[in-house]
Amino acid sequence: MRRALGAYTGLILAALYAPIAVMVVYSFNASNSFRWTGFTLEWYRRAWENRDLRSALANTVVLALVSMTLATVLGTMAALAARPVFRGKKLYAALVSLPVMVPDIVLAVALLALFRALGVSLSLWTAALAHTTFNLSYVAVTVSARLQGMDRTAELAAQDLGATPWGAFWRVTFPAILPGVLSGALLAFTLSFDDFAVTYFTSGPGGATLPVMVYSMVRFGVTPEINAVSTVLLAASLGLIVASLRLSRVPVAGGGR
Amino acid sequence: MNKRSLSLLLVPAGWLALFLLVPTVVLAVRSLGPEAARTLAEATTWMLLGRSFLIAAVATVLCLGVSYPAALFIAGCSARWRNLLLFLVVLPFWTNLLVRTFALMFVLRPLGILYTEGAVILGLVHSFLPFMILPLYVSIEKVPRRLLEASQDLGASPWRTFWKVTVPLTMPGIAAGCMLVFIPLLGIFALPEFLGGTRVPMVGNQINHYFMRSENPGAGSALTLVLMLLTAAFAGLYYRLRRTEGLV
Repeated sequence: MRRALGAYTGLILAALYAPIAVMVVYSFNASNSFRWTGFTLEWYRRAWENRDLRSALANTVVLALVSMTLATVLGTMAALAARPVFRGKKLYAALVSLPVMVPDIVLAVALLALFRALGVSLSLWTAALAHTTFNLSYVAVTVSARLQGMDRTAELAAQDLGATPWGAFWRVTFPAILPGVLSGALLAFTLSFDDFAVTYFTSGPGGATLPVMVYSMVRFGVTPEINAVSTVLLAASLGLIVASLRLSRVPVAGGGR
Repeated sequence: MNKRSLSLLLVPAGWLALFLLVPTVVLAVRSLGPEAARTLAEATTWMLLGRSFLIAAVATVLCLGVSYPAALFIAGCSARWRNLLLFLVVLPFWTNLLVRTFALMFVLRPLGILYTEGAVILGLVHSFLPFMILPLYVSIEKVPRRLLEASQDLGASPWRTFWKVTVPLTMPGIAAGCMLVFIPLLGIFALPEFLGGTRVPMVGNQINHYFMRSENPGAGSALTLVLMLLTAAFAGLYYRLRRTEGLV
């Protein structure tokens, strides 16, 4: 029984990885078809020489950095604010976790409607506002998980010994929650880096990111460069997760957009 | 609540109000126009919604069925294997969904099932497996061993123990997994387009069409609002059934 379950789990894992492996192999295939004709880096070279793809790469990184920074500050504040018990806390908690709960297309389209109503033209910056909104929730949830196990006596003791609330926060509380803040920041970067739906609706023509490029390349006909771009995106995501695992013992669970 | 906490609260709450609540109001206002009314009066709109729900529900149930045995196996492994297997299950999930969907096309095309409803459902199950396995694993792991042993000692077959002890005790994990899979599935649109072509549109594809291709934002807003209300109803129901503390 246990053996059968083990074999089954192995099959599931194989099914999870096989398509990705096939794609990676094809990104090195010399021929532009489904037949293997030899190893080449030609598609990577072409992808690199494609100016649209290069600006998409820059957009992806800038967007991830900007929204990570804003969301880390706002999300940490949101989590800290939820420490005391107050009236309406349930409502507040629901508001903060809302972007995690609704399908991303809803958030994306609602923001698109807002930007259109305000007459703001879409750009990388409107996409950054949108990314910050969903990332804020993920950071808040991550930091809040860290705060839950913490008791406040050290912070209160610091205040009793004459530290200002601000000083007590930076010298006592912040170092204690720093691992949570860092993993929240990395989560935010990764989610932003991998996001497609929200960027697609809120970034406008000049603000296309790599995932948005992959989408339009698949729609308008598959070229072998997509395999190369996809493989690069894959490697980047894996690099990010490995980095976050090394940086702190992040629970791997609970993300993904 | 003191003044300091209040100011701490106001900044993120203000951000969310501006970029979450105000946009929802804008959507609602947009949904009041004649195009929206026409769309909501059309039978095809509701058929599309019904079909999207059905596809998402079928994919969720299949995902549960496929995931449970794997979660059960992982929960029974030694700590070292458990961590390795969990890591392997979760890893693909940190990579881009679009890239994973594109990769699936390589496998589904030679099988001859690309651009069918089956391909879409298969793709949905494939993409959301980790979302299901993880909460299932967490709750299976919490089932006390002695209850399983007691059930066996009292003469129940492993099969009966599974259905009468393990499954009822892991209901929270089953519910959490189903929620985590079902809600994002409802809004998905790139996957049905890649794997289903033009033949298997879901609500997300229609919303995309209204906003980005046919410039009918009124109809798109109405459809999005309906989707939002339906998912909120599901999420609300789930949160009612679950106790929470803090933000999570």
